[in-house]
Amino acid sequence: MNQPASHAPASTSRPAKRISRQERVSVFWTLVLLVIAFIVLFPVLWVGSFMFRPDSAMFARPTEWLFEPTLVHFRYVIDNGFIGYLGTSFALASISTILVIVLGTPAAYAFARFQLRFRDDLFLFVLATRMAPPICMVIPFYMIFSNIGLIDTYLGLTLAYLTFNLSFYIWVMSSFCKDLPVALEEVAILEGHNRFAVFLRVVLPLLRSAIVATGMLCFIFAWNEFMFAFMLGGQNVKTLPVAVPELITTQGVRWGPMAIVGTLSLVPVMIAVFLLQKHIVRGLTMGAVKG
Amino acid sequence: MTMHKAKSKTMLAGLIAAAASFCYAAHLHAQDWSYAEAAKPYAGTTIRVLDEITPLQETMRKLVPDFVEKTGIQVEYELLSHGDVINRGQADLFSGRGHYDAIMLHGLQLGPLLAAKVLQPIDELQKNTALTNPELGLDDLIEPAYESLVNHSGQQFGFLTWNYNQIYWARADLLNHPEEQAAFQTRYGYPLAPAETMQQMRDIAEFFTRKKGETLAGETLRDDFYGIVLEGIPGGTTFTTVWEVFMNNWGGGVFDADGKPRLDTPENIAALQFWADLWKFAPPGQAEYSLIDVPTVMGNGLAAQSIAFSDFVLGVDRPGGGAYAGKFVYGGIPVNAENPAIRSAGGEPSLMALSSHSKNQEATYLFMQWMVDKDTQARLMEAGGGGVPIRHSSFDLDVMREASRQSLYKAMAASLQHVQAKPKTPSFFEIDNTMGPLVQQVGIGRLTAAEALKEGQRKVLSICDSCLLTE
Amino acid sequence: MRPLENRWYPYALLAPAFLVLVVVSLVPFLFAMYLSFHQINFGRIGDFAGWSNYSRLMENERTWNSLWVAAKFILIAFPLQFILGLGGALLLNKRVWGRSVILPLLFIPTMMAPIVVGLVWKVMFAGSWGLLSYNIVERFGFLQGTSVFSSPDFALLALALVDVWQWTPFMMLAFFAGLQALPVSPYRAAAVDGATPMQMFFRLTLPLMAPLMVVIGMLRFIDAFKVFDTIYTLTAGGPGISTEVPSLLAYRMSFEQWRIGESAAFAVLVWIGFFVLCSLFYHLAKKKLNAF
Repeated sequence: MNQPASHAPASTSRPAKRISRQERVSVFWTLVLLVIAFIVLFPVLWVGSFMFRPDSAMFARPTEWLFEPTLVHFRYVIDNGFIGYLGTSFALASISTILVIVLGTPAAYAFARFQLRFRDDLFLFVLATRMAPPICMVIPFYMIFSNIGLIDTYLGLTLAYLTFNLSFYIWVMSSFCKDLPVALEEVAILEGHNRFAVFLRVVLPLLRSAIVATGMLCFIFAWNEFMFAFMLGGQNVKTLPVAVPELITTQGVRWGPMAIVGTLSLVPVMIAVFLLQKHIVRGLTMGAVKG
Repeated sequence: MTMHKAKSKTMLAGLIAAAASFCYAAHLHAQDWSYAEAAKPYAGTTIRVLDEITPLQETMRKLVPDFVEKTGIQVEYELLSHGDVINRGQADLFSGRGHYDAIMLHGLQLGPLLAAKVLQPIDELQKNTALTNPELGLDDLIEPAYESLVNHSGQQFGFLTWNYNQIYWARADLLNHPEEQAAFQTRYGYPLAPAETMQQMRDIAEFFTRKKGETLAGETLRDDFYGIVLEGIPGGTTFTTVWEVFMNNWGGGVFDADGKPRLDTPENIAALQFWADLWKFAPPGQAEYSLIDVPTVMGNGLAAQSIAFSDFVLGVDRPGGGAYAGKFVYGGIPVNAENPAIRSAGGEPSLMALSSHSKNQEATYLFMQWMVDKDTQARLMEAGGGGVPIRHSSFDLDVMREASRQSLYKAMAASLQHVQAKPKTPSFFEIDNTMGPLVQQVGIGRLTAAEALKEGQRKVLSICDSCLLTE
Repeated sequence: MRPLENRWYPYALLAPAFLVLVVVSLVPFLFAMYLSFHQINFGRIGDFAGWSNYSRLMENERTWNSLWVAAKFILIAFPLQFILGLGGALLLNKRVWGRSVILPLLFIPTMMAPIVVGLVWKVMFAGSWGLLSYNIVERFGFLQGTSVFSSPDFALLALALVDVWQWTPFMMLAFFAGLQALPVSPYRAAAVDGATPMQMFFRLTLPLMAPLMVVIGMLRFIDAFKVFDTIYTLTAGGPGISTEVPSLLAYRMSFEQWRIGESAAFAVLVWIGFFVLCSLFYHLAKKKLNAF
């Protein structure tokens, strides 16, 4: 009945040979992936080395592949308060993502499941909210926000981020919602549970992996956003991306601290992806039940 | 008779006494003026100041608490990078938000901001003797930068606070090498030395452009070497360098006396052509070089000469700044030997301006004065280890007499003699955005100088035909 | 689609999101439209200006140039990242060892802030002093006399490839999640029927993935138009204006020149363009691919 899903068609005979063929395949593809990963990440690794590289060794010709490590850039980053921006970025991206999930999941579900009047128009309207180039919209936002006192506030930036993140979330989630098995819901309704309870207790658990995957992407977009954070933020709300141009000084680019700030910006997100990825992979429950 | 004499004697004595006490009182008044006194009515207010991140301004941030302590005026002193201080500052001013009381502005921004009437002239404040520091010594501020910057239509809009200037930058070790000197003398007929004319700069650039395998200063080159490196990106200060360092010195320029664009003149064509010809002696990627790439290239020993902003060189020519730190020599902007009467140097004098939306104008005005007064500037230069000064007298400070920096500081002084603020045109950015890509294309050889300037003239004329701000 | 008894229920589900979108997106956009019909003098709203902002915008040759640059950019970058993303997802879908580590690693380019991406590639390919410029491009004599980002022929291609580097992991992750969510039974049935992997891919995987691919494709297509940070850092629109994408032009119009009226008109025009294109594609995808 409910068998654990597997990636290859199951067969019941000859287990020993099957294992070895799969193992052989996986070693080859693993190596391929590792090589690809190295090529793709080489630029990042190189610039990452700037965290420990003295300035004179960064762009020397011929290239200095080996160098004497130094911690002077870390000193600079700490002395200039860059660690604090990490907290601001995290708070803003988290609040924004949670809001998007709370508002967007029911909407995506509604689009996928129900036949609504004007469904196509409403769906396109959602996408339309992200069609205007954000750069053109920043100054209008600034003008509105400065009149209602939302500049340099968490509320202001959270609202601004909702413009692009909510539409993204609803659109992507709705295509995951399409795969929801209806049978479970119908059974629950027949048993007399009200619709909202069905949504919370039956539908949401099934959507968990999709929520994690899409929510993670929204978190990343909010985390890395620059233009709105810069113009609509200020001294009180300063995110990491906004702090990066401060390292482009008249004395040149402070590459060392920039590598540190870049890595600082990357690490929390990577940890989150690493921890949460099993939720993505576990999209299996939906498929299994349907089958 | 005696009575008459006695009366006049008394009168004279009285006059002398009156004059003496008047002088004494005036002297007392001058002695009495202090920030603390002047700030008494405003103590406890908070002002917000936006400035640009430069090494000296980071030092200024450390000095600001002294002002706060002296006056009781709280100062939120915020520093942002170049692009950011322009974007945030302008947004604050144009939108009327008025979060900042004083904002640092580059001269090139004044056109649009004055046109929008968002800056407060300080003339009225200057007339207020209770608020104005009599020892401010404004005539010590470097000219012609100061005058050309802060004055417009009979009003004054702030004080000079940052004196960006461009200088000539070259590799001393190469210029002093005996073999190179001999070869240069033979080939060009005059001694090898830091260029004093544009034509010499060109010759030196040609002389030092060598391929991998050739010899340079007694060593075989492992890679190509270039005679000069300049900014070439379609943005940044590429066009303003062409304008101030080349076109002006060739007798050309962007505007005529009435503010009408006149770009396609023979003088401008000659200047642009001269600049573009230098690209032959420059690294192949010059078309993507911004203000930050140029020092990187010089710091990595890839080129022999450059024209760069003086504060940028400090990132490279310092201990630990790279293999070539300490091997550089500097000079003022070379003169055009064909047109020696005209001297123009590239630069960007900048000021601290008072926002017309500010609700704390008097307190802000006190801070603005404090920033530029002799005492603060002296302490700033000392604590900051030297840098780009705004006062003539700063050049006499001990820190500015440091031996290792003499070449640089002399170059700055030489250059500053000819740095003027940009003409105040509200369409500055449109003009710069139009001309930047055009001159770059002359550099990479896609357009001739004549074609580019003709096209530029057509486009700029469609932007404005009377471009300078009159009232 | 299933019929429902409770008419109001789905609308109740939609209402909070819609309320927010109206306030947070529609209102500013309507304000921008309002601005586009007025003369905006350095941020101060002036008289009604009719179509003049629009006509000035359309008469500006740089507007059309930027749209053409965007078209070229998307035409190169989008198919590449789509195909590579799909390929990467299929690769990850196989039994690979250490996938839980490789996945976050491969995802790094998308996780990086765009401004940092620009700077990383500047370090790689800056003329003469870039790491790969020096060790590969110049050592082997490619691109004589010019560099990657100052070459009129290659600059845009290079920028598109940077975009591919940056966003392929995004496509890969989305498609991988989609592959993971696929039902297993059709594959079992197909295997029993003796289908080859190739047949299973084209007859099962692609059609089942179509809805997700269409959604991700449309989103990425719209977003590719907005590219800014990398262009600004690497070429500033050059050589000349050959890489001046619409966002860069809009940046100069808004933040440097403060021509807010024209910038707002630009936003409106782009919006209309995308709305038309996306509506067409949406209805097409709905009919032909059963995507919505």
